[in-house]
Amino acid sequence: MPASVWAMPLAVGGRVPSKAKGERAERVSGSHSENQDPARGRMAAQERRIDDTMLIREAQRGNRAAFEELVRNYDQAVLRLALHLTGTEHDAQDVYQDAFLKAYKNIGNFRFECSFYTWIYRIVTNLCLDHLRKRNVRKEDAPVAKDASGGEYDLLDQVADGRAGANPERDLMRRQLGARISGALEKLTPRERMVFELKHYHGLKLRTVGEILHTTEETAKNTLFRATQKLRGALSDMR
Amino acid sequence: MNPESRVLSPERFARDSGLGAHDQGATMKCEWVRENIVLQVYGELADDARHELEQHVSRCADCAAELKAEQDFHALLSQDRAADPTPNLLAASRMRLQEGLETAVQGSVWSRLAFDPANWLRQIRFAPALASAILILGFAGGVGATYKFYGPHTETATSGGTTGTAQVPTEASINGISSITQDPNTNQISIKYNAVSTQEYQGPLNDQKVQQLLLYAARNNYNSGVRVDSVGLLAQRSSDQQVREALMYALANDTNPGVRLKSLDALGNYVKDDTNVRDAVLRALVNDGNSGVRIEALRLIEPVKADGSVRGVLMALSAKDSSQYIKSQARTMLAQLPEID
Repeated sequence: MPASVWAMPLAVGGRVPSKAKGERAERVSGSHSENQDPARGRMAAQERRIDDTMLIREAQRGNRAAFEELVRNYDQAVLRLALHLTGTEHDAQDVYQDAFLKAYKNIGNFRFECSFYTWIYRIVTNLCLDHLRKRNVRKEDAPVAKDASGGEYDLLDQVADGRAGANPERDLMRRQLGARISGALEKLTPRERMVFELKHYHGLKLRTVGEILHTTEETAKNTLFRATQKLRGALSDMR
Repeated sequence: MNPESRVLSPERFARDSGLGAHDQGATMKCEWVRENIVLQVYGELADDARHELEQHVSRCADCAAELKAEQDFHALLSQDRAADPTPNLLAASRMRLQEGLETAVQGSVWSRLAFDPANWLRQIRFAPALASAILILGFAGGVGATYKFYGPHTETATSGGTTGTAQVPTEASINGISSITQDPNTNQISIKYNAVSTQEYQGPLNDQKVQQLLLYAARNNYNSGVRVDSVGLLAQRSSDQQVREALMYALANDTNPGVRLKSLDALGNYVKDDTNVRDAVLRALVNDGNSGVRIEALRLIEPVKADGSVRGVLMALSAKDSSQYIKSQARTMLAQLPEID
């Protein structure tokens, strides 16, 4: 079907009413952090699901504005995950672009069997896993050096990131710690790395991690155990 | 050790490991605890397993030391946070994506038809207005002129024409609705909508096609006056589930407060019986940018204020709301409720 036909409802009827959307989102998230009332939290979650459902249905009808609204709800988390896993802004941008274009092209196949959140994370983690596997293959070319304990670290991690605060000594220590942890994370298998990343850095429940990675919660637990054991071994001198 | 036993209870762990009753003491438990400490640190242990682990750790110095070591290691790792993307990176990524979306093509309707009939049917469900437009166009012989159909007679006359027009893409031929009027004498509703040329359809409110066009107008029209008219008429049919959904959609998403208020009023009768409506009204109460809409929503939930979710919202509003009036009203409503606990 030609693109122009899809584009027509967009142009003529594809209105995404955005009544003070920013304001609404802020109010919802504000209430989240300030008010731990579980009833309100449940309501906010339910509201997000309903909002997502409406936006997905619109996007499935070809409404690009609705899709862009969905993107804005999730893209920060996606970019953060991609950035930490790939290690460079350039690669993170590529993953971001590929993930959302893939989601846009396939949103018609979204069945509401899982949340949109799980679905988009599934796409992103698959792309990141591919990236990690490819990187493992060409690891020999990476600009790595050896530290005092013989562990490899990425030279690029030593470059100051411009976010230095008032205490240069502490910043240096933090950078060194970050470099050591990155080096240890690199030694994990892509799957271990992914489970650890989603659990430790993104705080997802292991059940959700299992759903995202198409595996069981039990397997996710075992993978997390293996990953932390390896990390503890690699960073044993730092404790 | 079998990795699957990592999350088993100590008793089952012992059984699976082949340990005898005598061994079901410290050795087995220590091993089980060490396997589960990482889950404890990440808050992933079930309540009973957590309790068991804590009990054991309080008695076993070795396991307590192991737990401490794992906690320290976790604290060390937690010093290294995954950096948030900079605003520049986020903005650049969004811009690049927008450019990409310009040229991206969604999976076509025909490929979905071939691989995914269920999805295709869902697409069709959203196109009742198109179906009526197709019928009209088919009988007009493709001539771009204005046609008038009167009541259900036309419906029977045109009912045979659906098959020949199925190739026209969904909804694409409706280009907006320009006006909705109701004749006070006959209760006939007249809807002018643009397709290839402006068309007009007349019929009573219980005519299915009229309802379909009204639903379309409520969701998809740029002209807020038309949306107000359509929501106002749909309000008379709010017993219909599909109409209620359209009203809830308008309440949540319409940019015009008048349309939202009309939707709210139409939904008012169903706050008691329909939990979806209740949730929609609560969402309006919490999130709507217009204080008039919020006050009306507050008034509507009055009869169901004892409901758990309503009570939760009222408590939140009474504690912290930008509007003094809503804050005090919420307090008053809460005060009238019997105490729980």
